[in-house]
Amino acid sequence: MVLEIIVMVKQVPDSQEVVIDPVTMNLNRSLTRNVTNRADENALEAALRLKDSVGANVTVVSMGPPQAETTMIECLARGADRAILASDRFFGGADTYPTGLTLAATISKIGKFDIIIAGEETSDSSTGHVGPGVAEFLDIDQVTYTSKVEYKDGYVIAERELEDGTEVVKVPTPVLVTVLLNSNVPRRQTLRRKIDAIRKGFEVWDHDRIGLQPEWVGVRGSPTIVRRMRPIKERERAAKKIELSAVGDLVKELYEKNVLKLEVDS
Amino acid sequence: MAGIKPATPASKPEEYKNVFVYLETRDDRLLRPALEMIGVGKKIAEKVNEKLYCILLGGNIRDQAKEAVSYGCDVVLGAESPALATYRTLPYSHIIADFVKEEKPNIFLIPATRNGRDLASRIAVRCEAGVTADCTEIDVEQDTRILLANRPTYGESMLAEILCKRHRPQMATARPGIFPVPEKVKSAKGEIRIREISPDKAILKKEILEYRKKNVVDLTAAKVVVSGGMGLGKPDGFKLIQELADELGGVVGASRPAVDMGWISRDHQVGQTGQTVRPRLYVAVGISGKIQHIMGMKNSETILSINTDPNAEIFKYSDYVIVDDLYKAVPALIQEVRKYKSEKQVAPTEPS
Ligand SMILES: Cc1cc2nc3c(=O)[nH]c(=O)nc-3n(C[C@H](O)[C@H](O)[C@H](O)COP(=O)(O)OP(=O)(O)OC[C@H]3O[C@@H](n4cnc5c(N)ncnc54)[C@H](O)[C@@H]3O)c2cc1C
Ligand SMILES: Nc1ncnc2c1ncn2[C@@H]1O[C@H](COP(=O)(O)O)[C@@H](O)[C@H]1O
Repeated sequence: MVLEIIVMVKQVPDSQEVVIDPVTMNLNRSLTRNVTNRADENALEAALRLKDSVGANVTVVSMGPPQAETTMIECLARGADRAILASDRFFGGADTYPTGLTLAATISKIGKFDIIIAGEETSDSSTGHVGPGVAEFLDIDQVTYTSKVEYKDGYVIAERELEDGTEVVKVPTPVLVTVLLNSNVPRRQTLRRKIDAIRKGFEVWDHDRIGLQPEWVGVRGSPTIVRRMRPIKERERAAKKIELSAVGDLVKELYEKNVLKLEVDS
Repeated sequence: MAGIKPATPASKPEEYKNVFVYLETRDDRLLRPALEMIGVGKKIAEKVNEKLYCILLGGNIRDQAKEAVSYGCDVVLGAESPALATYRTLPYSHIIADFVKEEKPNIFLIPATRNGRDLASRIAVRCEAGVTADCTEIDVEQDTRILLANRPTYGESMLAEILCKRHRPQMATARPGIFPVPEKVKSAKGEIRIREISPDKAILKKEILEYRKKNVVDLTAAKVVVSGGMGLGKPDGFKLIQELADELGGVVGASRPAVDMGWISRDHQVGQTGQTVRPRLYVAVGISGKIQHIMGMKNSETILSINTDPNAEIFKYSDYVIVDDLYKAVPALIQEVRKYKSEKQVAPTEPS
C-alpha cells in the first residue's frame, strides 16, 4: 500500500516586489511577479521525503487563477505525481472560509488520502488559518507548525515548534500537517523532470467539477469583507550615521538621553 | 458539525451578546497573551455594555480562573479534565464550539499564537463564523456592535479594516505583544463556572509524547534587545551579541534565518513569526531589515543598526546607523560602554 499524500500549494505575489496602486490601495497584480509560497515548497519537500522513505503518491492541490500554472508545473518538476488547480472565476475574492471549503471539497473529490500537508502560512495573507480550516471541513485531526514529519504504521510522528518549546506528537492518519518555512531544503526541479511535467500537464477543476455551488465560494461565500485600507505611517527616523571613531560619543549620548541607564531597571 | 458546507449567516445577529476571549495556558498557567486578550476584550465589552467571558480549559484551572477574574473577567467558562491538561486541537475546538453554541457570543478573540491559530480557524469553521487573523487594532462600533478588526497587510505597509457583518460570532486573532496586559482590578468579582468534562475517546487519539521546554527569554519585557542576523556569518557570532547585551543589561534577539540555521534557539526570534518587542533600545546587528523582521521591532523607542551595506533597508527604521563590519563595530561599542561605566564608577548591570 502506498500512502496518498495531498500537498496544498498557493501561488503568491513575490513579496520582494509588491506594488500597491496608490489610487485603489490594492495590489497592482500586473506589475507583481508571482512565485510559489515558500513555506509550501517546504510542504512539498516534506511530502517528497515521505515518498522517498515509505512510498507515496503525491498530489498537489491549489486554488487560484490560471497563471498558477507555473506553480503547478514547478511542483510536478520537483517530483509530485499529479497536480490539480481549482480555478474558476467564482473562486475569486475568497477569505479563509471559502478557501478552506474549496480546497476541502477538491480533496474529497480526489478520493482517499492519508496525509494532507500545507505550509505554515502564506506570505500574502499570512493567516495560517487555511490548513486547519480544511482539516475541520474534512473532520480530521491536525498537527501544525511542524519542523519534522515522519510516518510509521498508520501514524504520523511530528515535532511542533511552539513559542516556548517543542512538542512531539503521534497521531493516526488521516491527518493534516502544516510545515514550517525553512524546515527543510526543497529539492530542485530538473530539466528532465520539467520536460516530463509539461508533457504530463496538470488538471484544472471548476466549481461544477468539484461539486460546489457558486454562492458557496469566493467573495460571496466569505463571511468577512475588507471595509477599507489605510497606509500605516511609520515614525520618521534620522538614521544618523556614526563613524567607528565616534562610537564613544554615541555611547555617551545614549546614556545622557536615558536610552541606556546605569542602574538596573525593569 | 464539520462537513463541507458554506457559512450560513446568523438568522438573528441581535441575539448574540457578550465578548468571549480564549485564555491560552501552558502547564495550567495563564500565558501573557491570555492576559492581553483580557485587556482588549474588557475594553470592547465595556464599550457596548456587555460582559467579558473568559474561556479556560485544562487539567486544573481553579487558580487561573481566579486570576482571570482579578484581571477583570466577568464570567469564566471553564472545562476541566485530565484529558485537557495539554492543548490538543480536537477536544479543545469541540468543547469551545459547544460553549459558543450555548452562550452565543457576539465577539470572540483568540491570541494569534501558534496554538491560538491552530484553534481559531477550527472554531470558525465549526461555528460557521468569520475570523480575521493577526489583528493589531481591535475596536467595536457602539451602535451596531460590529467588530472592527484591523490587520496589517501588503508587507505591513497597509492596515486593512475587516468586518464580519452577518455571521456570528465575529472572531479575530490578536497579535501577541501588541495589546497591553491590563492592571489588576481591585475587589474584582466575577462568576466562575467550571465543568468537569470527559471528552469522547474518539477525539483524544493524538498523543503528546514529549514536550521539550526551552528556556524562554521573554524579549517583550526587555528594556534593551541586541539582535544578531545572518551578517554574523557563524554561530559563534552570538557570543559577541551576548557580550554586548550583557554589557547593556539587555537580552539577545535574532532574525529568523539565524534561528533556522541553528545558531540560536527559536525563543530569541524577533519578527512576524517570532516575538514583538518594544524596548528602549534595539540594536540590529547584521540584519538586513526585511519586513518580517521589521514588524517585530519597529516600535522600539530607539533603534541602532550595524550593517556593512550602506543601502541596508534596516537603516530606514533606524535612529543611528553604523556602516561598518560588525566584528569591528560591536567590540568598539562594548569597549566604549565599559569605559563609560568605569568612568561613572558603577558595578556591571544585571540583565533586566
Ligand atoms: C512567512 C515568513 C515569516 C518570517 N518571519 C520572520 C521573523 O519572524 N523574523 C525574521 O527576522 N525574519 C522572518 N522572515 C524572514 C525574512 O523575510 C528575512 O529573510 C530575514 O529577516 C532576513 O534575516 P537577516 O537580516 O538576518 O539576513 P539577511 O537578509 O541575509 O541579511 C544579512 C545582513 O547582514 C549584513 N552583513 C553581512 N556581513 C556583515 C558584517 N560583517 N557586518 C555587518 N553587517 C553584515 C548584510 O549587509 C545584510 O544586510 C520570515 C519570512 C517569511 C516568508
Ligand atoms: N489558494 C490556496 N491554494 C492552495 N493552498 C492554499 C491556498 N491558500 C492557502 N493554502 C494553504 O494553506 C496554508 C496557509 O495559508 P494561509 O492561511 O493563507 O496563511 C498555505 O501555506 C497553503 O499550504
